[in-house]
Amino acid sequence: MPRIPLGDWVNSTVDWLLDHMAWLFDFCKAVFTGFYDGINAVLQAPQPLLLAGIFAVLAWWLRGTLAGLLAFAGFAFIDSMGLWSNAMVTLSLVLVATIIALVISVPVGIWAARSDRVSSLVRPVLDFMQTLPAMVYLIPAILFFGTGAPAGIVATLIFALAPGVRMTELGIRQVDKELVEAAEAFGTTPRNTLLRVQLPLALPTVMAGVNQVIMLGLSMAAIAGMVGTGGLGGDVNEAIGQLNVGLGAESGVAIVILAIYLDRMTSALGTEVSPLGRRAAAKARAAAKGLRIWSYRPQPQIAVIGVVILALVSGGLGILGGNGDSSTTASDGGDVGKGKKITIGYIPWDEGVASTFLWKEILERRGYEVKVQQFEAGPLYTALAQGNIDFQTDAWLPVTHEPYWKKYGKKLEDLGSWYGPTSLELTVPAYLNDVDSLEDLKGKASLFGGKITGIESSAGMMGLLKSKVLKDYGLDKEYEVVDSSTPAMLAELKRAYSRKEPIVVTLWSPHWAYSDYELKKLKDPKGSWGTGDGLHTLARKGFSSDDPVVSGWLKNFRMSEKQLTSLEAEINKAGKGRQQDAVRTWLKDNPEVVDKLAPIPAGSSAKGADDRGTADAVRVE
Amino acid sequence: MSVSSRLEARHLFKVFGRRPDEAVERLRRGADREDLRAEGTTAAVIDASFTVEPGQIFVVMGLSGSGKSTLLRMLNGLLEPTAGTVSFDGQDLTALSDRELREVRSKKISMVFQHFALFPHRSVRENAAYGLEVQGVPRAERERRADEALALCGLAGWENSWPDELSGGMQQRVGLARALATDADLLLMDESFSALDPLIRRDMQDQLLQLQKTLKKTIVFITHDLNEAMRLGDRIAVMRAGRIVQIGTAEDILLRPADDYVASFTQDVDRSRVLTAEAVMDREVRGDEADCGCDTATPQTPFTELCALSARIPHPVAVLDENREVVGVVRRQRLVGFLGDGETTPVSCDAPRDKGGEKEVARA
Repeated sequence: MPRIPLGDWVNSTVDWLLDHMAWLFDFCKAVFTGFYDGINAVLQAPQPLLLAGIFAVLAWWLRGTLAGLLAFAGFAFIDSMGLWSNAMVTLSLVLVATIIALVISVPVGIWAARSDRVSSLVRPVLDFMQTLPAMVYLIPAILFFGTGAPAGIVATLIFALAPGVRMTELGIRQVDKELVEAAEAFGTTPRNTLLRVQLPLALPTVMAGVNQVIMLGLSMAAIAGMVGTGGLGGDVNEAIGQLNVGLGAESGVAIVILAIYLDRMTSALGTEVSPLGRRAAAKARAAAKGLRIWSYRPQPQIAVIGVVILALVSGGLGILGGNGDSSTTASDGGDVGKGKKITIGYIPWDEGVASTFLWKEILERRGYEVKVQQFEAGPLYTALAQGNIDFQTDAWLPVTHEPYWKKYGKKLEDLGSWYGPTSLELTVPAYLNDVDSLEDLKGKASLFGGKITGIESSAGMMGLLKSKVLKDYGLDKEYEVVDSSTPAMLAELKRAYSRKEPIVVTLWSPHWAYSDYELKKLKDPKGSWGTGDGLHTLARKGFSSDDPVVSGWLKNFRMSEKQLTSLEAEINKAGKGRQQDAVRTWLKDNPEVVDKLAPIPAGSSAKGADDRGTADAVRVE
Repeated sequence: MSVSSRLEARHLFKVFGRRPDEAVERLRRGADREDLRAEGTTAAVIDASFTVEPGQIFVVMGLSGSGKSTLLRMLNGLLEPTAGTVSFDGQDLTALSDRELREVRSKKISMVFQHFALFPHRSVRENAAYGLEVQGVPRAERERRADEALALCGLAGWENSWPDELSGGMQQRVGLARALATDADLLLMDESFSALDPLIRRDMQDQLLQLQKTLKKTIVFITHDLNEAMRLGDRIAVMRAGRIVQIGTAEDILLRPADDYVASFTQDVDRSRVLTAEAVMDREVRGDEADCGCDTATPQTPFTELCALSARIPHPVAVLDENREVVGVVRRQRLVGFLGDGETTPVSCDAPRDKGGEKEVARA
């Protein structure tokens, strides 16, 4: 059987598209971004509780008093968890994706319903889109659309289009043929047959499709968080990465609240917009007995008035409170950045979070406008190579992230290592007295159940462990390496640790687990793990010439283990959403750090202005 | 009614499947429907020709699969004939563009469906006004005309109801009103009463005949029920396997079936409802049969009434035309014969006391 080089074909296709169709993707990206920014701005603008009130009035109108109260309670709950802004980001993302999905899927569905050939062509494409694992097209999505909302929207779109098309086609096809024939027999044009007979009758099914599109879009939100869209998906990813069950639960519940609200509202809207649904609902209401107050629904006019009043109030508050709300830049030093924008990408690993937010704080104090975006490792490198972000601080080089460096190194600038060396190791809890070195594991397989709890099988250290380390110490017959995931490994460690059970896991330094638990790194007298990595700062190509000041600071960036672990501990203590507050607290205890890491260049004011001018010129190009 | 609104179908063919034109050629040369079916081609209608005069009800009768629904849909262009022409009102419908054809359908031809095909998202009035809406008639006028049509069909007061609130019979009245509201000259009815239960069906047939007396539409009515065909049809076409095997009046079909297939159909028919004095009378008359004071019949007198008459008077019933001239006599023995199975000649009996026919009447 000859090897069919499908992967190569895909690669060259992607390259070709990148070279020749960039204008198209840029256009889509501009549309998506503009659309998303608009909706997001609207949703982020009002006071949370006022917007919750608007949502509640909509629920009241569409479903009744009880639904209105529950909607308000649900959104207030999201606000009280401090997830409001992220929830609105996710909501905007889902709304944009849904609207675009409908604009595409309804016409395609109609077309498929009218032509068997189109239908049989479209069906496998939909199957393909729906079942292809999300990560497979997330990376190309970044290549084509850059990071953040557009990539997230595209990923959601690909996933959520299918039910829209399918349900539209089904809805139209299941309209009684005799009715269509009747319309034709009276001389109706095909267009009017569609608009006056088929679509109105298909509407309940089409609305069920809309509902599915929204639900799938929401379920995709978590995955979209991996490509820097932020929102609740980002929170979920971060929680998973840090094994923060509490945060995971909070953002999960917030997603569920959004999902339930959108689900109930769209299904009620489905009844409301279709003539048949309206009649059925009116009948049901007439038949219903019991407390009317719970099912009381205001007239549409009242609902509109309510929404308008709340919107006006929030608009007024926005104008009045707008000034007070704007971010206060603590410029205790010279204003070097002069509002220049810098984007930092990070993987939700502790050293990444700590160094990223440290730099965010430092750069803001120096007058830069800093945006941070969270990614998975792969998408992070892709984004950096595309120039969507300016730098990232969490590159494990030269060993662990070698594949990424091989692929993208030419498009990146290495600003040097700020921490090192890191190390990879097998680790056991400190309460296992007689296991200190890898050699001690021999003959103790029964103690550990013959298992070494590993992380993702794709991780570099797993390959090293299986192919070299175990063999060097003669452990490969005795132990089985269990592939799992980092969070699963940490959960396993936490469980065993709390019960004082024996366990051996794959771990690396720096890692917060070493500060949270008393653990022992098993010694490696044969040096099988090799020398460690350094934590490197990588910037996009051209960053150091665009911004010599910041890249100069980054090149000189160093942190000691004590500094890093104490900062990580501070951030863990502060909890989600307060990373920057934790950095500020930490900086109070380490006041010298800012000036040491980011010394104000001599004659900064003049030079800074120059920098800005050239940088702007470069960007305009 | 002008002669121009006659409907004429000439050599209509409809073939579904691959290479229909070739199939038509083969059918013209005498190929069989079954031969084509073996190749996956279905000949639904084969060489159908007929004329419907203005104001006539033309019934197409056949079992399912005989091609009658396909034939009907070629008359208003819902299906394009593979070969042949349809002309109505002097216009060749098969030569029209799609747009012109839609125009004709919206103004001149309307249709009533087997399962009513009412739009469930429209009220009864909106349903009845549908054809007018398609024509672009302003709302006020189309609602007025829709209400008139509904009233004509006995649905005054139901205008604001919804189709699913009505019984089957009433729904079909809405279907009929929708078809009548456009003032189309040609009404196509596709098994319109088949889905109704027998009593309602009877009612609807009566109502259609009643309406037809005043409206004088040209109607093509499809049915699989020969009783219904005989009741409604001025002329009847019997279809079998895509071909029209006989066209004629109810009596023609009943008394002079073209072949065994048609004859087998007529066995179940209630002859007494179809036959009239004209069909059973003896035309050899002396001219003085009506000179007594007894009741007489006309050529249109139904069979059942003739039986009643015959039972009352001691001699054959005289049949008079509109000029009160005797045109025939109906003998009791013939009446009984027709109730049985057509025209049989009486045979003589050996028993001297019996007078043959009298005894048979007693038994019947």
